[in-house]
Amino acid sequence: MTSLPTSPAVLPSPGARPGGGARARLHSRRRNAAALYALPAFAWFVIFLVGPLASVFVMSMQNGTTLIAKSEFVGLRNFERVFADPLFWKAMSNTALQLVIVVPIMVVLGFMLGYYLFLKPPFAGALRIIFFTSSLLSASTKAMIFYSLLSPNGLVNQLLSAVGLDALTTSWLANSATALPVIMIVDLWAGIGFLAILFSAQLTSVSGDIIEASRIDGCGHWRSMWHVAFGMVQGFVGVIAMLQFLWTLFLSATNVLLLTKGGPGTSSQTLSFLIYTKAFEQSDIGYSQAVGVVLFVTGILGAILIRSVLRSRT
Amino acid sequence: MTAPAVARRRRSRPRTTPLMGLAHVVVWLYAAALVLPLYFLLVSSLKNNTEIFSAGFALPPEWRFDNYLKAWSFTSLGDALLNSAYVTIGAEILIVIVSIPAAYGIARSDGWLGKLVERSLALGFLIPGFAALVPTVFLAIGLGLYRTREFLVLYYVAGAIPLSVILLAQYMRAIPKELEEAATVEGANRFQILVRIYGPLVMPALATVLLLNFINIWNEYIVALVIAGSTIDTRTVQVALPTLVTNQLSQYGVLAAGTIITLVPVYLCYLLLKKRMENALISGALKG
Repeated sequence: MTSLPTSPAVLPSPGARPGGGARARLHSRRRNAAALYALPAFAWFVIFLVGPLASVFVMSMQNGTTLIAKSEFVGLRNFERVFADPLFWKAMSNTALQLVIVVPIMVVLGFMLGYYLFLKPPFAGALRIIFFTSSLLSASTKAMIFYSLLSPNGLVNQLLSAVGLDALTTSWLANSATALPVIMIVDLWAGIGFLAILFSAQLTSVSGDIIEASRIDGCGHWRSMWHVAFGMVQGFVGVIAMLQFLWTLFLSATNVLLLTKGGPGTSSQTLSFLIYTKAFEQSDIGYSQAVGVVLFVTGILGAILIRSVLRSRT
Repeated sequence: MTAPAVARRRRSRPRTTPLMGLAHVVVWLYAAALVLPLYFLLVSSLKNNTEIFSAGFALPPEWRFDNYLKAWSFTSLGDALLNSAYVTIGAEILIVIVSIPAAYGIARSDGWLGKLVERSLALGFLIPGFAALVPTVFLAIGLGLYRTREFLVLYYVAGAIPLSVILLAQYMRAIPKELEEAATVEGANRFQILVRIYGPLVMPALATVLLLNFINIWNEYIVALVIAGSTIDTRTVQVALPTLVTNQLSQYGVLAAGTIITLVPVYLCYLLLKKRMENALISGALKG
């Protein structure tokens, strides 16, 4: 658990009395009683989130087809089908590529940009507004923006033609060489700025003075950034890298669905999109949920790995 | 919670080294890459296709507000905005009702039960709801709420609970216990304490939680699509917007206008509550 950059003000306590023995008695009586207040929220959470998540494992071992058809237990047969399917391996390799490219670029550039903001450069306020404005865009808004920018007559191709690079113009979303890179760029586009804001807030709250001191001692910005600042927030970088990994892994379906529908061909299929199409378009819920289990396990293993590599030094 | 070190920090003017010069250039190129598409969106919303395709960056030769009217009527955006508002407000009210007592319970209990609940919620925050999309649909069908906005409300509340409860509980821990003990001695029961003492004191944290959930719920796409569907009487703005692509094949001006309309509520909120909104977004991510 990391800490907020802003802490609630210490509250004045009018009418507070020093608690003596009364306090201890109240305390023991309440040890678990107070927690009962959390039960409605907890039950809600279990019914709508934990329950469905557990059901993924059950459904992965049933032969469900459509949303209304009855289904029976079939053991691991869905997994056999999944692992024998070239489409699954295509989706797997695309997802792996996406993770290996998006997560490191986003975290490294986000950290560097965050360090830049932390130095309070000229117009830092304007930059912050620009970064925030972009992080408020919803997935479907971002997709619509990129859909217009990348259309055959869109702004990107116009700019390329204007500078004499007609050879590079293409129909970005319908070209199997560019479809997946576009999906990654949509994530990176606004994501880097948002992570920068998080990192700069964290740097400001934990290590302002120390970095300052290292600068006075004659460290260049490059050394000060990686040797001092990075060390101070390494655990936090690990948390953000882990979250970004999970978001990219689980949520790529939205961009793919809105922009390329996995195509052209299978060039932009990802695991999370495969779960969506198999369940809702191809009526193969057993297959879909077997992929869901693979995705979930990948998520847990990846998150543990990232956390153990980027541990806090303190 | 660490005390903000901001106040103590002396301002440092970055010295102009070649590296720093390069950094300025690269950062502003990136900023331009973020702003130009939004500018393009804005000017496109006032143009027709010919104008967009011939000179995407140029200011509109004449301001064609009819794109906005078209976007509004083609997608029944009025209904979609109402559906989004219904879902968002409904969920926010329920979030307040269940999260405040839960946060209080966790903040004031030091037994195993409170710990168990808090740990589970913290873990739950890590896994995006999308992971269980298909079983969620079955749950909706089972409750007889498939294709309704009401299930979306229930679902979004569940999605918001982990972060809302954890943020509120951390804030409540900073409230001195003596306040509560004094009230107990004077005969107030737990419910009165919660409403009269904690209620007013947690307002700042509650504002953060409400804003954060507002952004998340208003912007949510895939669950809204799968559960509420794309028929006019249940779909949210996020689901209605992309229908402009298939519906109005390649009328980019109309698409841009529709996109801008869906952005208005969130951006208006940002304009009015800039600092609070920024804090909400930051604390939302920092709680992982």
